[in-house]
Amino acid sequence: MGKPADGRPCAGVFARAWAKAVSGTSYLPMTHAQLEVLLQRLTDLLAEALRAEPLDLRVGHKVADELVAAHIVSAEALGRTVEVIQLRLVRDLDLVADDIEDRMARLLGAVATGYARALRDRTLDEQESIRRAAMTARAEAEQALRASEARFRHQATHDPLTDLPNRTLFAERLAAAVDASAGSGRRVGLCFLDLDRFKRVNDSFGHQIGDRALVAAARRLRRAVEPHLVARLGGDAFVVLVERSTGTGDVVAVAEAALAALSEPVVVDGHDVTVTASVGIVERRVAGTSPDDLMRAAGSTLHWAKSAGGAGWALYDAERDGREQARQELCAAIPAGLERGEFFLDYQPLTSLHDGSLLGVEALVRWRHPRLGVLRPDKFIGLAEETGLIVPLGGWVLAEACREAVGWTSTSGEPPYVSVNLAVRQVRRPGLVQEVRALLRRTGLPPNRLQLEITESTMMTTSEEPVRALRALADLGIRIAIDDFGTGYSNLAYLRDLPVTELKVAGEFVRGLRTPEARADERILASLVSLAHALDLTVTAEGVETGGQAERLRAIGCDAGQGWHFGRPASPDHILARIR
Amino acid sequence: MRHLQRPDWAPETIDVERPSVARMYDYYLGGSHNFAVDRATARAMVAVVPQAPLMAQANRAFLRRAVQFLTDAGIRQFLDIGSGIPTVGNVHEIAQRHAPDSRVVYVDVDPVAVAHSREILAGNDRTAVIQEDLRHPERILTHPDIRAMLDFSQPMAVLVVAVLHFVPDDDRPAEVLRTLRAALAPGSYLVLSQASDDGRGEAERAEAEEVYRRTDNPLWIRSRAELTGFFDGFELVEPGVVWVPQWRPETPESAEDAEQAVFLGGVGRLGG
Repeated sequence: MGKPADGRPCAGVFARAWAKAVSGTSYLPMTHAQLEVLLQRLTDLLAEALRAEPLDLRVGHKVADELVAAHIVSAEALGRTVEVIQLRLVRDLDLVADDIEDRMARLLGAVATGYARALRDRTLDEQESIRRAAMTARAEAEQALRASEARFRHQATHDPLTDLPNRTLFAERLAAAVDASAGSGRRVGLCFLDLDRFKRVNDSFGHQIGDRALVAAARRLRRAVEPHLVARLGGDAFVVLVERSTGTGDVVAVAEAALAALSEPVVVDGHDVTVTASVGIVERRVAGTSPDDLMRAAGSTLHWAKSAGGAGWALYDAERDGREQARQELCAAIPAGLERGEFFLDYQPLTSLHDGSLLGVEALVRWRHPRLGVLRPDKFIGLAEETGLIVPLGGWVLAEACREAVGWTSTSGEPPYVSVNLAVRQVRRPGLVQEVRALLRRTGLPPNRLQLEITESTMMTTSEEPVRALRALADLGIRIAIDDFGTGYSNLAYLRDLPVTELKVAGEFVRGLRTPEARADERILASLVSLAHALDLTVTAEGVETGGQAERLRAIGCDAGQGWHFGRPASPDHILARIR
Repeated sequence: MRHLQRPDWAPETIDVERPSVARMYDYYLGGSHNFAVDRATARAMVAVVPQAPLMAQANRAFLRRAVQFLTDAGIRQFLDIGSGIPTVGNVHEIAQRHAPDSRVVYVDVDPVAVAHSREILAGNDRTAVIQEDLRHPERILTHPDIRAMLDFSQPMAVLVVAVLHFVPDDDRPAEVLRTLRAALAPGSYLVLSQASDDGRGEAERAEAEEVYRRTDNPLWIRSRAELTGFFDGFELVEPGVVWVPQWRPETPESAEDAEQAVFLGGVGRLGG
């Protein structure tokens, strides 16, 4: 390389050597050629400084600043820079000065000082910047955490399908509403809403459409009852909380708005989905009530609205609720009552209309309730049948009747048979036949002294099981009677197919015999009797209250009678007294 | 991997006590955007692989030359996935110096790197930064900030430089790249580089992998054939997949000792 015109020899050689010395000490964000251009310029600055009078140490600082700015930023780079300048700059550039060594030492000192200072500044700046970035990132992460906690809270308190508040949030709000203002005379209301027969929507359109109809219903509800809280309790059940109610009217208005909003059909996927709803309304003073009370009352009221046919609202009625609750409580106490032996049987005579003899007795259950006194079956049998408690209760009645009846001995002929009612659930239970057979064996009661009374509805079944069970019982020699005949469907087909031995004709027909003009009842009775006799069945008339009725029944040809005229239900002692 | 098991809604935690590969890389390049734990881990790496800083620098130089090449080829849109700490010599610095209208989007999974990038790039309206994981290319491609900055009907360059060795085969890197490719207009480019052990000892690889196991991103070394396979659908531009110093070197001597480089790299063009 030749000397340039300005007389500075081989600056290029020096710059290349410098570039080679520093390359690789850190990442240099430039091409090698660009690096050489930079270092060439810095070389020129240094050379000029060495020649100039006085020596300007700031040039050393500037060179150092530029090195660091160009990301030549390592201890190695400084060491090699000092080394290459000291070794080669004067020689390569042919620099001549009296005090060149002295000037060089001072200039290098300035470069080193400047470099250390610039690198320290750069390092601190970068540290500060990465630290700040970490803080920013952490702040963002914390914010995201809070947002996700809010989201999590939302998910925990809302129904995912409809995005309505869920049971949890509703319970919180209800508790707060009842709590915050307790004793202040404030009132609160609930509308417990349930879509009528919504299962049918799912069944006929599929669950997807059902779900979308629910979403649409939820949206309408929310809009209709604003600003009141509406929550989805699950399935198709919703509840609206009316805080600060001023009276029943407020809550009824909310219920009517909700019903109106739901009455328009929803179009889902081209299907017109029509839903109606039932609403149970409770509105009362906050003082003295609790969330549980309110919810329970609203639930019962909803049940009333439903059983009234749906598509409407019902208002809570404390008296009705009290009655129902008492029934429920009574029903719930049956198992304990059985265990404590609170039940007992009375017997009502079944008397021959031909000779006035006692043919049999019907067992009637009584409950000696510790608090309510002696209860007749109409107080508890209905619910026992609904809840299934009739099975243990009926089983006890049957066993007790057999146990007592076996001890009745008559001085004159056959002792009376005992007639026991069998509920539908008992007849449908598998194992009935074995149970009865075991009972007869255990008590020793002859089968022909047991009569089982079943209702017509027992036979209204497509299942073969009950029929088979009754045949097996009849085959044992047990009498089978149809109770309340003539009030149900009076399907004559089963009279042909079943091993029935007796018809008990309902008291309605007998009551008609009191008035001479009630000829229709008498004719019906007469036809029933001749029909029964044609089928080889005996007929017992229920509800016989007067001698006149007994006389007419005898004239018609009825076999036996039951009722006050022949004797009220009485304890087994009375029965024993009669047969001795 | 840890952050894949985290449910979507759960935020990550920022733990500067864990070494970050992005900050370690910055340290190799001579930067000070790193914490003590990063430096300690990087020094442990250097103890095993003494040339690690030089390798990182060579890789960074490859990135520079590749962006320069792409700018010369007329590319004005860049999507840099796994951009890390934006130390010196960023894609936008290189590209915008030559073509000021170049638009660059940086993507990184490291929240600190992303926060830092945002700070550095504040005021540059031709750049954007998003936090996303290379393993979710569909999220990257549909991200509104990316859609606002880049025009997918026009050619662009996708850079996945020094990142794939943090993506194990289980995370299907080839599928990730296919998804990205499908979104690109003809004439687009793909730039890849990754650590490789082609012709290197088993022991060194095992030790390096051991060091990186301390980070959130363990190392996944691949062969030249594997990296070449990642260019499926692209035409490799000369000289193909090579040790990064050998890729279009500025001077012949800068390609010397290239096999010491550890990183293999290449650039592919989407035909049509």
